[in-house]
Amino acid sequence: MKTLLSASLKMLIRDHQAIFWAFMFPMLFLGVFRLFSFDSYGTTNLIVAGETADVRSTALVDALGDVEFLDVTVRDDLPTVADVEAALADEDGLDAALFLTESAGPTLQAELIMAINDPIGSSVTVAAIRAVVDGVSAALTDAPRAIEVFTRSVDADEASFFEFLGPGIIGMGLMSFATISLAGSLSRYREEGVLRRIRATPLAPSRFFVAVVVAHLVIAAGQVLLLALVAEALGANVLRGGIGFLLICIVGTVIFLNLGVIIAGRVQGRGAVEGAANAITLPMMFLSGTFFPTSGMPAFIQPVVQALPLTHMLNALRGVTIRGETFVEQWPSLLILAAWVVGTLIVARFAFSFRDA
Amino acid sequence: MPPVIDVQRLVKRYGEITALGGVSFQVEPGEIFGILGPNGAGKTTLVEILEGLTRPTEGAATVLGIPVVEHPDAVKERIGVQLQASSYHQYLTLYEILELFGSFYQRRADPMELLRRVHLEDRAGARIKHLSGGMRQRFSIMAALVNEPEVVFFDEPTAGLDPDARRDLWEIVRAVRDSGATVVLTTHYMEEAEVLCDRVAFLNAGSLVALDTPPRLVRSLHAPYHVTLTTSGPIDARRIEQIDGVADVTQRAVADGTVTELRSGDTPRVAAALTALASETGVALLDLAIQPATLEDVFLSLTGRGLSGS
Repeated sequence: MKTLLSASLKMLIRDHQAIFWAFMFPMLFLGVFRLFSFDSYGTTNLIVAGETADVRSTALVDALGDVEFLDVTVRDDLPTVADVEAALADEDGLDAALFLTESAGPTLQAELIMAINDPIGSSVTVAAIRAVVDGVSAALTDAPRAIEVFTRSVDADEASFFEFLGPGIIGMGLMSFATISLAGSLSRYREEGVLRRIRATPLAPSRFFVAVVVAHLVIAAGQVLLLALVAEALGANVLRGGIGFLLICIVGTVIFLNLGVIIAGRVQGRGAVEGAANAITLPMMFLSGTFFPTSGMPAFIQPVVQALPLTHMLNALRGVTIRGETFVEQWPSLLILAAWVVGTLIVARFAFSFRDA
Repeated sequence: MPPVIDVQRLVKRYGEITALGGVSFQVEPGEIFGILGPNGAGKTTLVEILEGLTRPTEGAATVLGIPVVEHPDAVKERIGVQLQASSYHQYLTLYEILELFGSFYQRRADPMELLRRVHLEDRAGARIKHLSGGMRQRFSIMAALVNEPEVVFFDEPTAGLDPDARRDLWEIVRAVRDSGATVVLTTHYMEEAEVLCDRVAFLNAGSLVALDTPPRLVRSLHAPYHVTLTTSGPIDARRIEQIDGVADVTQRAVADGTVTELRSGDTPRVAAALTALASETGVALLDLAIQPATLEDVFLSLTGRGLSGS
C-alpha cells in the first residue's frame, strides 16, 4: 500500500495540469484581487457626534454632506468619545466618526476616528475630510484655526474585502483541484488501459481507488496550508479559523472528490470529462459567493445558490474566520454539507465501475 | 502432468451476440500455445476469461488447477498478463511502474533484472512516452513478468511492429518459455504462430475449428502444396484438373507465356504429370515452383476465409 500511495502521489505531482488547478489557479486570484482595493470604492459612512449644535459644527456637517462619497449622519445619541468608539465597533456599516469638542479657546476640536482597515481607502477618506474641515474653517473666520482635526484609527468591525475573499479562494481552489483533477485522472487511467491492467493483477480495485483519492487529499492538504499562508500574508486573516477551518476544508474536499468520481463515471472520453468538470465547477465558483456575498444575487437564483455545497462550505469557513464563531456554531451549514457528503458518496458508488474499464 | 489450462465448453454472450460458442481445450506445461483467428473471432474474450477479467456466461476453466471464475485472485497471483494496447501510467518511470506492479504480488522479481532481460536497463528512468513502439512492446511483455508467473498471456504481442522488432519479441517470448513458464499468445499473424507456437488453436466466429501443431495442421490439408507452373504457352486447364490430387487450378497470361497455379497433394507424381502434359501440348516448361502450404491455407480451407477476415 505504501508503494501504491507513493506512486499515486508521484503521478499527481508530475501532472502539471493538476498542480495548476491546485495551486496556480487560486494563487492567480489571490494576486489579482490583492492588486485592487475594493474597500476604497463606494461610500464611506461617517457619523458626527459631540458638540453638534455649534454654528461651526452645522457648517461642517453641511460641507461634509456635499462630498460625494461621504454619507454623513449626525448622532446626538452618542455624547462621549467612548460611545462613539462603541458604535464603530458594534454597529454594521460605520466607517469613520468625527467627534467635536468645544475647547477653552475659540477653536473647535474635531477628533476623526477611522475604522477602515484598508490603508489606501483610509488615507483617501482622511485627506478628503481634512480638506473639507480646512475649507469650512477658513470660511468661518479669517484665522485658519477655527477647527482643529486630530486623526486616529480603531479596528474596523467590518471584514475587509480581502478577509472575505481569502476563505472564498481557498474553497474554490479545493473544489477546482478535487473535482477537475480526480475526474481527469480517473478518466485518463481508464482511457490508457491502466484500470484494466490493474484489474489483471490481484490488487483489489478498491485499494487502487483509495490510493488515488488519498493522494488527492494529501495534495489538497498542501493546498490548504500553502493558500492559507499566502492569504494570511496578504492580509486575509484566515489562520484564526484554526482546526475548524481545516475540518470544513476536509468535508468540502470530500464532496468535490465525490463529484469528480461521478463525472468520471458518467461521462465518456477524457476531453468530455474535463469539460464537464469545468462546466460544474465554474458556475459554482460564481454562484457560491467566492468573490462577492451571495446576498447580492437576485432572488430568483437564491434557491440554486442555497443548494450548492460550495455556498455552505464558504459560509462555514467565513463563520470561523471573519465572524469569529466556533466550528460547532456552523452547524446549519455543516448539516447541509453532511447531506452532500452522503448523497454524492452514494451516487459515486454506483456511477463509477471498474467493470467498465 | 496435469494440463496448465483446462477449458470446458466456455460460452460468452454479450446480449444477442455470442462471442464464444462453447470452446474446450487444454494447454500443456511448458508449451507456447497460440490462439489464432481473425479480428472478432473471440480470441481476446477467451483470454480475458482465463485471466479472470471477464466472467463466462457458461462453462468452466481452470488455470494451474484453480477454477478461474470462483477464485480469480488466486489465479491472478500466479499468471502474467500483457494486455492488448494497454499502456501504463504516463507519469511514472519504467522502474517505478515495475516496482508498483511488483508490490501487488506476493512474489516479485527485481525491476532492474527484468529491464535487463529485455535490454531496457538504460531506460529505467525513462517514461513510456519516450520509448519507441518496439521498446514499449518489450516493456509491456516484461511487465507481465513482475510476479515470476507460471503462465503468461500475451495478447497480440507484436501487433503493429516492423519485422525486426517482431523477431526480437519472438526471441523474448521463447526466453520466457525457456525459463519455465507456459505461454499463451493470441495473434492474427500466421507466420508468427508457425514460427513461435508449439500448438495452435484456430478460432473462428467464437468456435474452435482446429487445434494441433503447425506442421500437422498443414499436413492435414487435402492438398498441402502450392505449385506454380510457368510455360511458354497455355495448357488446357481441364486436363490439369484431371491429374489425380490437383485442386484449385487458375491460369493467367504473362509477358513470356502462361502461369498456372494449383494446389496438390502427392507432389512428385503431380510434377511428373505436369512435365509430361507440357511436352505433350508442345509448350516449353519455363519454371516449376513447389511451396508447402501455410497456416493461412489451413485456415482458409477450414473457414472459407482468410485470417485477415477477408
